[in-house]
Amino acid sequence: MSAIKLTREEIVQLIDREAQRRRGISAGQLLRAYREGRLEDPGEVADLLTLADLLSEDDEIFEAA
Amino acid sequence: MAGGTKAFQAFADLVSLLLRLTVLKWPAGEVKLHYEGPNPSTRILGGWDGPLDPLPLRNARFLRLNVSLFLEATPKGELLKVRKSSYQYQFDKEGDKWVWRYDYLRETAAEKPPAHLQINGGFAFKDIVPKKVSLHKIHFPTDRVSLESVIRLLADQFGVPCNNNAAIWRPVLSESESRFRTIAHRPG
Repeated sequence: MSAIKLTREEIVQLIDREAQRRRGISAGQLLRAYREGRLEDPGEVADLLTLADLLSEDDEIFEAA
Repeated sequence: MAGGTKAFQAFADLVSLLLRLTVLKWPAGEVKLHYEGPNPSTRILGGWDGPLDPLPLRNARFLRLNVSLFLEATPKGELLKVRKSSYQYQFDKEGDKWVWRYDYLRETAAEKPPAHLQINGGFAFKDIVPKKVSLHKIHFPTDRVSLESVIRLLADQFGVPCNNNAAIWRPVLSESESRFRTIAHRPG
């Protein structure tokens, strides 16, 4: 089994699509809410938060809009 | 856990072995390791069709398995650690019909317990909680829950058929789990 490489754009797109479907918010809004301790029931979107762990700590998506 | 980048693959191989011995619908489903180019110190486990793809089980249901792994520099060298893990049993691929979920977050900013269980169900009678909170919103604190115990739960109590006889997979899960218990971070 070899590791599969994802681009930053692919990661953000995947998170965004599901964040919109499940919570009606963007990937950025979801991830910033989680980082700031404001995200309700993070377990529901644990798969999206796990995927976001692949992004750099200082990725612009974590910055306020 | 032991370290170096090879540890990522070793961990993925172990998870794959445990699931293929038991409840995973195989070869239709498979555990895969994902990473992002510029960030070599982190990997996540995901499914066959992508990092968000849940694993198909032998009873036509799904296990959403999400594990985030990283390498931490220690005096003993780089060691593999788990940042997040989540195991969710669900009826549909989308996860809208989820049954239960175990979550572990090594770092959590919320007031919720870092390791917990949530159940998608209803209370048996009224006025159990002071506020009108649904059962699925309650976070029952747990210790670190192993993948091995999740597999046993699926096989023994949720009737998911296994790819092998229990006499084969129970000892394997037991051995693997005993090693996990010696190294697992315990949530405070």
